[in-house]
Amino acid sequence: MATPKELSADAVNNTVVGPSILISGKLTGDEDLTVRGRVEGELTLSRTLIVEPSGVVKANVAVKNAIVSGVVVGNINATESVELTREGRMVGDIHAPRVIIVDGASFRGRVDMGDVEPGRLPAERPVVARPTTVARPTTPAARPSTTPPRPPVAPSRPTQATVVARPTPPPPPVARPPQSKPLPPPPPPRAEPRPAAPAPVVEQTASAEPPTPFAVGAGAKKKVVVKKKTR
Amino acid sequence: MATGETGIIGKGIVIKGNLTGGGDLVIEGRVEGQIALKNHLTIESTGKVQADIRAEELTINGEASGNIDASTRVAINASAKVAGDIKAPRVVIEDGAVFNGSIEMDVRLPDDI
Amino acid sequence: MANTVIGSSIVIDGEISGDEDLVIQGTVKGKISLKESLYVEGSGVVEADIETQNVEIAGRVTGNIVASDKVELKTDCRVVGDIKAPRILIADGASFKGNVDMDMKER
Repeated sequence: MATPKELSADAVNNTVVGPSILISGKLTGDEDLTVRGRVEGELTLSRTLIVEPSGVVKANVAVKNAIVSGVVVGNINATESVELTREGRMVGDIHAPRVIIVDGASFRGRVDMGDVEPGRLPAERPVVARPTTVARPTTPAARPSTTPPRPPVAPSRPTQATVVARPTPPPPPVARPPQSKPLPPPPPPRAEPRPAAPAPVVEQTASAEPPTPFAVGAGAKKKVVVKKKTR
Repeated sequence: MATGETGIIGKGIVIKGNLTGGGDLVIEGRVEGQIALKNHLTIESTGKVQADIRAEELTINGEASGNIDASTRVAINASAKVAGDIKAPRVVIEDGAVFNGSIEMDVRLPDDI
Repeated sequence: MANTVIGSSIVIDGEISGDEDLVIQGTVKGKISLKESLYVEGSGVVEADIETQNVEIAGRVTGNIVASDKVELKTDCRVVGDIKAPRILIADGASFKGNVDMDMKER
């Protein structure tokens, strides 16, 4: 039987919810979380949530990044990015500046990426400000927020629409200071050490490496911890 | 891109109204109105479409606003900016693309959800 | 498969259940029911009723513990609550307040 010390050495700064585990309630944290089991309720992380293919998250999620290869039912609010991988399945709304949906993933819900980052606009069309409804006076039918089926595009202002390639009313993007990207607030710094009993190994990889999608040492542990899986 | 059957709406062209057809179509210019296409529609990076779109397959590198209904697949590539509601069995959004709206695919969930 | 680890910055308020080992380095409030072993490490704080097969506690636990096999209180742990288990080990240096019940009649 592996001792707790061995186990924690493997799981450096990465919380893992194993395949047979169900957590229901409220989960918060400042480290990456890998879900192979099930989490229900509410999930708030200042770092990355990884839902592996066996994982199920039925929760409202607020994170920095989310990588979904399993199932998510609920809304995801990410300050950086949400990625649905080939095996990812999700029902709910996504709010994140970067959303990636890979071929094979399935998704039902709304996507809200907010405003375009200034640098992302193609150079030859600098004027098309993104702010959806306000910034597009010439395109009444172009509102993205219409959920109910709309009638076929009304040719309401044909003359105006063609001629006015550059809507004047919206604030030109040029006015934006180049640095004012809508960046998310920086995540809280590393987890503060607990006064009573510091966890020795927890912060080792925090700075250098990107989060590994799979728990470090998962394979290495295999022979030590022989587990009956009941799922 | 397919060969003989492919139509192109060039950069300088503006079309207002309904657009229907059976072949593949590449839009490099502007289209406003409605598009119903039996095959593959590509909106190139210079293309700008304000229309409800029906097509078999849709590839967007440029701008599109309006609702999209594709019978096979919608690809929103990195340079694309899309607003509207999408209904398709497969929808791909590349990193860098901008999309605001809803997506409706079939999602097979486990039974116990 | 790796075991479940609740890292030191994680706070869970709710219920955890499952059929595998669970390592707690963070904070769990609510309820824990496991069919295997629970390890509350030195940094771990548990305010929950615990039902499991084995428990090893090096951190802090407030709540009642029912184990079908064994409860082990390690040096430096702090446990407040009642413990019910056929085998109970309390190490030198552990602090514990509560009742101990090793009676197996009910099982």
